[in-house]
Amino acid sequence: MTNLKTTEEITWCPGCTNFMILEAAKKALSKFNQKELAMVTGIGCHAKIFDYLNISGIYGLHGRVVPTMTGITLGNPNLKVIGFAGDGDTYAEGMAHLIHAGRYNANITLIVHDNQSFSLTTGQPTPTSQQGYTSKAKPQGEENKPFNPIKLALASGTTFIARCNAKDINHTAEIIEKAISHPGFSFIEIIQDCLIFNKEINDKDKLMYKIPDNKDKIKALSLSSQWGYNNKTGKIPLGVIYQVKEPTLQEKLKIS
Amino acid sequence: MRLNILIGGKAGQGINKISEIISSILAKQGYFTFNYRDYPSLIRGGHNFNILSISDNWIASHESKLDGILAMDEKTIPLHKPSLKTRGFTIPPTGFENLGLNLNVALAGALTKLLGIDKQILLDEVQQDLKNEESVKAANLGFESQKKEIISLKKLNNKISILSGSMAVAKGATNSNIDLYIAYPMTPATNVLHELAAKQVENNFKVFQAESEIAVANSALGASFAGSSVLVGTSGGGFDLMSETLSLQGISEIPLTVYLASRPGPGTGVPTYTAQADLDIALRGGHGEFPRIVIAPGDPVEAIETTNQAMYLAEKFSTLSIILSDKHLAESEFSLNKSADKPLKVEVKRKLPGKAIVKSSSYEHDLQGNTTESAEITKQNADNRIKKYDLIKKEIEKFKPIKIHGKQNSKNLIIGWGSTKGAILDSITGLNCKFMQVIYMKPMSKQIKQIMQQANNIILVENNVTGQLGRVLREKTGIEIPKENRILKYNGRPFYSDQLKLEIEKRIK
Repeated sequence: MTNLKTTEEITWCPGCTNFMILEAAKKALSKFNQKELAMVTGIGCHAKIFDYLNISGIYGLHGRVVPTMTGITLGNPNLKVIGFAGDGDTYAEGMAHLIHAGRYNANITLIVHDNQSFSLTTGQPTPTSQQGYTSKAKPQGEENKPFNPIKLALASGTTFIARCNAKDINHTAEIIEKAISHPGFSFIEIIQDCLIFNKEINDKDKLMYKIPDNKDKIKALSLSSQWGYNNKTGKIPLGVIYQVKEPTLQEKLKIS
Repeated sequence: MRLNILIGGKAGQGINKISEIISSILAKQGYFTFNYRDYPSLIRGGHNFNILSISDNWIASHESKLDGILAMDEKTIPLHKPSLKTRGFTIPPTGFENLGLNLNVALAGALTKLLGIDKQILLDEVQQDLKNEESVKAANLGFESQKKEIISLKKLNNKISILSGSMAVAKGATNSNIDLYIAYPMTPATNVLHELAAKQVENNFKVFQAESEIAVANSALGASFAGSSVLVGTSGGGFDLMSETLSLQGISEIPLTVYLASRPGPGTGVPTYTAQADLDIALRGGHGEFPRIVIAPGDPVEAIETTNQAMYLAEKFSTLSIILSDKHLAESEFSLNKSADKPLKVEVKRKLPGKAIVKSSSYEHDLQGNTTESAEITKQNADNRIKKYDLIKKEIEKFKPIKIHGKQNSKNLIIGWGSTKGAILDSITGLNCKFMQVIYMKPMSKQIKQIMQQANNIILVENNVTGQLGRVLREKTGIEIPKENRILKYNGRPFYSDQLKLEIEKRIK
């Protein structure tokens, strides 16, 4: 596990939940052959993880984690490709790619660090920020409701959908490991607090509960509807919300 | 001997089949053809036409005065009659009403008779190509509908093959042993997508149509990072979408080759017509400063060779290569009488993920690939990226970054690039001038300045409104080509070689 570390200075804010995601990622990645791993990161706080993991990868463009991963797996299907992306990254700039990823079902794993804020650019609202969130960009408050990425992933045919709490390192590690082992497109939403921006949506742990792995689509729809990202009410299920086996892009294109 | 025959009708009637049958027959008879395709952006109806130019010498252009018109509908003859020579012929669709989709084959038959070619050659061709009796009957009917030949084309000894620019780029790609072609449909680049999609099984590579040009470019970098030899293709608008990724290529130094087939812009412009208006974006697209190679082939043989060179150089120097073409080169069908040079082997010798830990980054980075904001490394990396040009310049002198055609000692110098090559070559026969064809647009050959200095009279020929190559040459050499010597055509149509000749003659001293 130690060889997954780098000597780079970590520049996340003190106490940032990204430290916990990094620990969970290292724990999960240590189960695989280090040289066969390839990561892609977007641009944002989450993406600094690129410097802290000693595995191959591309520190890519904002919003383009998914197509870059698809390319890597088309280039070498034997690599285990893991993407780290932000909520702004994935749901704003790169939304189209997320939807098509469900359709392609390439054998890749996308981990979204969702803190409901564009934090590295000082706190503007993202598509998962709650209505009314005030920031320098929206002094009058965010006027739009957030959308629900889990529902979206379900609707676009994603074959592995999970949600984690950044603060639960062991559970997150376990889910990342399952996601990487799943043949097809795996999507993990990690709910994380940002200690600097959009603090009013933090501390939802009380709403969270763990579910057993679910393979039923109707149940998945109901699970995905339990929390709408817009406030701190409702229940937030954690774990594998949906999983199904379907041919991967590599299988469909006969790439080996 | 030179004939220009217009074949017109509605989209969907199969006009191009006539050009194909006639070109194929004529190639076997040793005659050269050039087929220009003019069509609006619609699928059925409207008015499409081809101009099929025929010669006993090598040609690569069409002319404005017509020797004949083949009409698949009632609109064609009245529309094009003003361009018909006084003794030119017309073949209307009358008499072939019951043939349905075989009307084109009948008209090809009629033309074969007029060209004085033996009927059996026609029937064999149609049988071989279309493999059905109805079509053979239609060809026979068409042939018999004409009473008299206008010319008798006796068999010549030339060995000719027919290729479009798109087919040539595809050939260059397969010659380079690509692993992957990634594209999003956009005219006039789409034919390379079709061509390679059809060849992927026999040649053991994959074609992937992604959801956008942004996805295309980023997937291509991902695949290249993983060790694949990748080519992507697009036109101006799609290239614009790729620009951010071109910039990512610049800093991550993951090899990438882009085929850019341009058309008239800005915006959607005139999407099925031609222009050389995207040299500027090929040279400059993408933020920041980083090296690139831009190569503009002028005919299919050069397209085969330069596609291979582009991929070879991208891999060798971990750089961005752009093959710059346009609709006129991509979709016109040329007769070739020579073959392309032996392809260079594109070898991936980089460290690859799976075998080693490789980190590529869009941030400024240290040797391990981790992020840095160090002033020293920032400057050093910028220097190292730009220094690649020294090595690239040396390497490309092995190829032909420029070509000189025509009278080598003439003081009249014509300068052009890309798809205007054919019209320029055909127009300068017999004129006192030489033609410098610029193939490597970036980096450029050092010889260019000297050649321009030696000339007394420089004439620029480009298919755009601002004379983009002229501006680049002025920047590189300090020599300005006077406004009255810039022959610029920007109505979406390529040059007719006869009209271009008149323009050049006016300016020759």
